[in-house]
Amino acid sequence: MPLRAALPLVFQAAAIAIALLLPAFVGANSYALFVATQLGIYVIAAIGLNLLAGYAGQVSLGHAAFVAIGAYSVALLTVDHHWSFWAAAALGMVLAAGLGMLAVLPAFRLNTWYFAFITLAFALVFEKMIVEWRWLTKGFAGVVGVPPPSAFGFEFGPRPLYFTVVLVTVIAFILVRNVVHSRFGCAFVAVRDVEPAALAVGASPQLAKLTAFVISAALAGIAGAFFAVQKTVVTPDDFTADFSIFFLLTVVLGGLGTLWGPIIGALVFFLIPELLAGLQSWRMLIYGGLLLGLMLFAPHGLFGALRQGWRRFAPQAATPVLAAERAEHPPIAGLPLQVSGLRKRFGGVLALDAVDFHAPAGSCCAIVGPNGSGKTTLLNLASGYYVPDAGSVKIGRVEMLGSSAPRIATRGVGRTFQTPRLVADLSALDNVMLGAYTRERANLLSIALRLPSARAEAHRLREEALGFLHFVGVADRAETEAGEIPHGQQRLVEIARAMMGGARLILLDEPAAGLSMSELERLERLIARICELGATIVIVEHHLDLVANIASHVTVLDRGTVLAAGKPAEVFKDERVMRAYMGERALKTGAPA
Amino acid sequence: MKAPGGPPLLSVRNLDAGYGHVRVLQNVSLSVDAGRIVALVGRNGAGKSTLLRTLSGLNRAASGEITFDGQNIAGLRPHAIVAAGLLHVAEGRRLFRRQSVADNIELGRYGLRLGAEQHRQRMDRIHELFPVLQEKKDLPAGGLSGGQQQMLAIAQAMMREPKLLMLDEPSLGLAPVLVDQVLSAILTLRAQRVAILLVEQMVERALEIADEACVMQNGRMIASGPANEIATGDALRAAFMGDHGAPGHLQS
Amino acid sequence: MDFDVVAHGIVAGSLYALVAVSFNILYRPTNVFNFAQGELVMLGAMIFASATSLAGMPWFAAFVATLVAVGLIGLVEERIAVAPILARSQTGTGWVITTLAVSLIISNLVGRFWGPDPILVKPPEPLSMEALDLGPSRISSYEIMLVIVTIVLVAIVESAYRTLKGKAVMAVAEDREAALLRGIDPGSLRRWSFFLGAAFAAMTGVLAAPILYASTSLGPDLLLKGFAAAAVGSIGNNRGALIAGYLIGVTEALGASLLSPGYQEAVIFIVVLTVLLLRPQGLFGSSTARTV
Repeated sequence: MPLRAALPLVFQAAAIAIALLLPAFVGANSYALFVATQLGIYVIAAIGLNLLAGYAGQVSLGHAAFVAIGAYSVALLTVDHHWSFWAAAALGMVLAAGLGMLAVLPAFRLNTWYFAFITLAFALVFEKMIVEWRWLTKGFAGVVGVPPPSAFGFEFGPRPLYFTVVLVTVIAFILVRNVVHSRFGCAFVAVRDVEPAALAVGASPQLAKLTAFVISAALAGIAGAFFAVQKTVVTPDDFTADFSIFFLLTVVLGGLGTLWGPIIGALVFFLIPELLAGLQSWRMLIYGGLLLGLMLFAPHGLFGALRQGWRRFAPQAATPVLAAERAEHPPIAGLPLQVSGLRKRFGGVLALDAVDFHAPAGSCCAIVGPNGSGKTTLLNLASGYYVPDAGSVKIGRVEMLGSSAPRIATRGVGRTFQTPRLVADLSALDNVMLGAYTRERANLLSIALRLPSARAEAHRLREEALGFLHFVGVADRAETEAGEIPHGQQRLVEIARAMMGGARLILLDEPAAGLSMSELERLERLIARICELGATIVIVEHHLDLVANIASHVTVLDRGTVLAAGKPAEVFKDERVMRAYMGERALKTGAPA
Repeated sequence: MKAPGGPPLLSVRNLDAGYGHVRVLQNVSLSVDAGRIVALVGRNGAGKSTLLRTLSGLNRAASGEITFDGQNIAGLRPHAIVAAGLLHVAEGRRLFRRQSVADNIELGRYGLRLGAEQHRQRMDRIHELFPVLQEKKDLPAGGLSGGQQQMLAIAQAMMREPKLLMLDEPSLGLAPVLVDQVLSAILTLRAQRVAILLVEQMVERALEIADEACVMQNGRMIASGPANEIATGDALRAAFMGDHGAPGHLQS
Repeated sequence: MDFDVVAHGIVAGSLYALVAVSFNILYRPTNVFNFAQGELVMLGAMIFASATSLAGMPWFAAFVATLVAVGLIGLVEERIAVAPILARSQTGTGWVITTLAVSLIISNLVGRFWGPDPILVKPPEPLSMEALDLGPSRISSYEIMLVIVTIVLVAIVESAYRTLKGKAVMAVAEDREAALLRGIDPGSLRRWSFFLGAAFAAMTGVLAAPILYASTSLGPDLLLKGFAAAAVGSIGNNRGALIAGYLIGVTEALGASLLSPGYQEAVIFIVVLTVLLLRPQGLFGSSTARTV
């Protein structure tokens, strides 16, 4: 356990020590220092690309263009307009993010491969434009004589430049690490793997992709700025399609979606070409072969392979979770749900026809009915996953008809799904914390910088999430990856996530399906407790026993219309209900439950 | 009625299956004889659909034997199982909604060589059973009503003259008059020596037309026997009302 | 508006439409958008050029040999780079990277084998690239034939989707699992569509060679313009791809003549972005419903 925790720290310290000590052993104008500086520049861009492609799942095939924007900004502004490097670099970052955003904006609503294509096209068009706009960029000849950065009248030689690049690399690594570990990083992964989960916690997929892209392009821009001053010459030939592929390969080699991936990838990459100097003309062929082989045999790259080996060598010990048992929970002010005249048609099938449904604040209402009677459709309409053809959905007193799922979630509506939608790669605790996505006040900047307020909030939310895991009874799984948790407990984690979001109206879609007897009893007690706290609960369920025990009001749907509504005992005695649900014989032998 | 002697058409022994880490079916055994209707009942989440999906090859069995028509079909891919004569009409019909009714029926015979005469005979048989499909043959399948969609899904399967047809919730969302039509179509199919494995939540109706029945609860088969015995037995009530009745009693 | 510019735009647009159709053939049953498609077009042009110009094979024999050879390469790509990725996850997009890797490998191998020089390919007799004097337009007999052949090819591909196999492809595209339950083997359809999609790409290369020459630079260029035509015309819609191909060819030609040839790509890029921003599903597609 101590070794396990200490190892990453040892590696980080060693990496920084080597980076800082290197200049002491090589000459200021040595090739080694030049290469080391270049390595740092590439790592900065690769860290950004990894956030975008690895975490948010958006593969950029045109990263060279964003680096080029940074490089040209610095080259042109410092050479032609005598700006200071720092101002030019800042503008380069803004331009890389801004121009890139204009280009990729349409792609965020579409399948991810559109994004790959559009970035590829953007890089190609940008490369052509550099040549075309000779008056601005000096065409093929490029911009020469880029001056080194200076500060306080002191001009940076190779060594200070190297230290600056190392510093920026470390900062980029830390900022991205902070983002990855925050609600934003969790939302990126949710958008990549389970979009409905992102919607359920109120995270807009488009906004998440855009955030990842902007950070990524800005890092490419700053890398480009250093690229310009290091090489002192900037030409269109520096930013070909090959260069974009190179970045992608760096990240894939090190490990997509792992924090250390870009660094390991870039290191290995720099050693290989030096070793295979004679094979320069085979380079792109080797790139292609490596990309293919890695994706097939090591999708998490070198870091993934190392991690797997390490886990086998030192299997994870169950970490005791230290959190105050919180049996007590502050009361919840339930939100009423009022649905009227709701209608939805799928092709030739009328799924819902003029359905009225009312759940008063703080009540527990059930919707039952045979399969295909429109129960789940009703939940999906109420939570914004479908748009109804007609009718009204009022949550609180506000009409929410036609609002997007994230907006409805933000209003205080939490939901679970028939098959639990957890982000398999995140721990149960992270999944629950993701529930607070719209509640967390700290913005991206304060999270990236780990400002005390953001840290305090994150800590508080973490405690709160642990409290909810205790509340639903799966605190022992807090650190387990959600994909490894048994089905029945995944449901409980999902309920904890909904509560974490501050849900005042909770929609449960067949929570009892597939649960064992003992799990069912736990679920029943849990729902009753949540209801006691004051939250409004709408439960779609087949399990009539459960419904009879917890619901104060039952609505029976049959073929898209309301067949009966009222107290469970009365409704279940209703002849039509028994016929729809159980058939004729149930009528003869008496009521269930 | 039962074929004298001979092995059953479908025989499942000690089947275990599930999704990922989740074990849904535990030690399930079942047999279906040629030309018989077997109703499979139990509450939602009891594992009925998973059982059908495992039999048709959509899910992999973790362990156990599945023998169909003398052939071991465990581990075969779905299209090979279909070719062997075991057809599965999935829950929710799952038609090709953008294609026409006629095209949907044609797709039912994909990969099958039919002579012109044979083809006409099968089409006639389908249209005799479901005349409405002939009237609406040029409409997109997505434009049909729920009941018509269910008929179309059965018609697709009929193009192959299956030996065993598995129907998952055919009455789903249908008006009572259409349920009657679908159930009477099932009886017609039995008369044509097609065995039927019927998953149906209108338990009463299913047991009326079935020859035999099996009851599932929490991924286990808790009872099986003649349909009329099951209909009056305790296991059924236990499975539906959630009495904590001991599983396993009433094993016939 | 210069009629000659438009005419040449239509000719180029026909080629883009053909690339888009080859994307569609492959995309429909697989939901894979092959990033190596441009290199397959290039490979078709190179193999054909070598077979006729260098080895002296008769036109038709070389044509058939090229299609079969590139079709087989497409099949190999499916086996090595696509099937294993889809076996891991049906919905993931790892194939973006693997098909890109295949494109790198093909383009570099071809570059080493044939070198960078473009190869001149003559059109089949009696067609020629000699400009005919047709009043305002200076277009060749081969180019006129290319425009006609493209329309015929799109019609043929569309009619292929009316066969039972074609309907099965559409069935797999709509609901893969339902198709499985009807005895349709999506794996076999996927292999077929990679073979046919690659062969169609090769044919596009053969048809393009007399106009654009056979060279390694053909690949990336046609990849992007083919994608533009496919996206603007709605992915999977072949008639849409034809019209979008014309639209892009003519826009590009006008952009080049009014601004400067260097603006060609930029103009197309802006057209594609504008269309996708206003109509994400393309000009000729219908939006599909979201499901949970």
